[in-house]
Amino acid sequence: MSEKIKLPDGFRSWEADVKIGKKEDKVTIGHWADGCKGCLICVDVCPKKVWKPIEAKNKYNGQLVTVVKADACIKCMLCEIHCPDFCIKIF
Amino acid sequence: MAFDYEKYLRMEKIPHLWCPGCGIGVVLKSMLRAIDNLDWHRDDTAFVSGIGCTSRAPGYIDCNTLHTTHGRGLTFATGIKMAKPDKNVVIFSGDGDATAIGGNHFIHACRRNIDMTLIIVNNNIYGMTGGQHSPTTPIGFKASTTIYGNIDPSFDICLLARAAGATYVARSTVNNGRTLEKYIQKGLANKGFSVIEAVSNCHTQFGRKNNMSDPISSRKWIKDREIPLAKARSMKADDLKNMVITGEFISEESDMERWENYNRALEEYTKAYGDLIKKVKKKK
Ligand SMILES: Cc1ncc(C[n+]2csc(CCOP(=O)(O)OP(=O)(O)O)c2C)c(N)n1
Ligand code: SF4
Ligand code: SF4
Ligand code: SF4
Ligand SMILES: [Mg+2]
Repeated sequence: MSEKIKLPDGFRSWEADVKIGKKEDKVTIGHWADGCKGCLICVDVCPKKVWKPIEAKNKYNGQLVTVVKADACIKCMLCEIHCPDFCIKIF
Repeated sequence: MAFDYEKYLRMEKIPHLWCPGCGIGVVLKSMLRAIDNLDWHRDDTAFVSGIGCTSRAPGYIDCNTLHTTHGRGLTFATGIKMAKPDKNVVIFSGDGDATAIGGNHFIHACRRNIDMTLIIVNNNIYGMTGGQHSPTTPIGFKASTTIYGNIDPSFDICLLARAAGATYVARSTVNNGRTLEKYIQKGLANKGFSVIEAVSNCHTQFGRKNNMSDPISSRKWIKDREIPLAKARSMKADDLKNMVITGEFISEESDMERWENYNRALEEYTKAYGDLIKKVKKKK
């Protein structure tokens, strides 16, 4: 399955092969660090602990998060839906 | 598949001004997805708001938007809808904006059953102005104007809307973005006045004074109090104190009591008004 992946400028991305139930799939996780405010909602809502806070800050002094386990992602979209700042894209 | 929010946003205004983790962003996103599901065209849609943190939302949408005065979003919106009944009108309002200063406009818009959708972000507080208590601050909770704990009972926004005559009424919370999207979509599609209450976190003003000053604990406080309407029906009133009853209070499928219909608007308002104009013109 080839979905068109279009990340806006400024998004970092992680790619991985994932297994969702029994289905093999691919995931691309995008994160916009400059827009991120470090609220940690993504870390809280992800059922697979894909996201982790890190010490680094962005230009608005927001604490940053990073993807540590892209291959555990089940594409539930919870992080994308609940990020209040338009900073996450799951393809 | 990722959603293309950028398509609907004034990206030069993003990042928005809301605090890190503020629930208003989650509600705005849910609404954009709902609009997209319905394929509404931006030229056919207007977003209107009053004043408050919530009321800043239309400013981020690349569409016809109107940021008006405190509590009066509905009056400007009504004007737009009366002049252009074929256009879609959506109003964003806070709990203070909609049920305190704008409370009268709120119940009368419900009463008229005019085809518009009101999204109320209920964060139990006046967020923008420093955390004064609102008509939905729960009993016992602190605000800058109730420093020893609030003693005023809250409005139930959904029951108020239902009693006043709105024809689609639903409540969910910022913990359930997908459900918010579904309810907002049904509200937008309803040909009449729709009210969607999105219970949200203002950890900055409300949480800070009530031992939950970060977004995670404020969101959890909401989550722990969520009770689906079907379950609430079989619970005692005492056990429902300060709880967040979620679900559809009025929809086409919901089991509205028969007698509750007796005083409800039979027609959508701009249609009734159009018919009246035709009738009067014929007489002359
Ligand atoms: C006529 C008038 N009275 C008072 C105010 C001050 N004021 C601005 S926003 C606000 C309350 C906002 O609370 P709410 O509607 O709940 O929005 P929130 O900030 O919580 O999203 C008040 C009292 C005003 N702008 N105009
Ligand atoms: S939810 Fe969004 S803004 Fe908050 S930390 Fe995660 S990516 Fe950043
Ligand atoms: S899509 Fe679901 S599993 Fe994947 S990172 Fe987001 S919250 Fe975690
Ligand atoms: S003050 Fe409250 S409502 Fe306003 S942006 Fe901050 S968290 Fe959101
Ligand atoms: Mg408020």
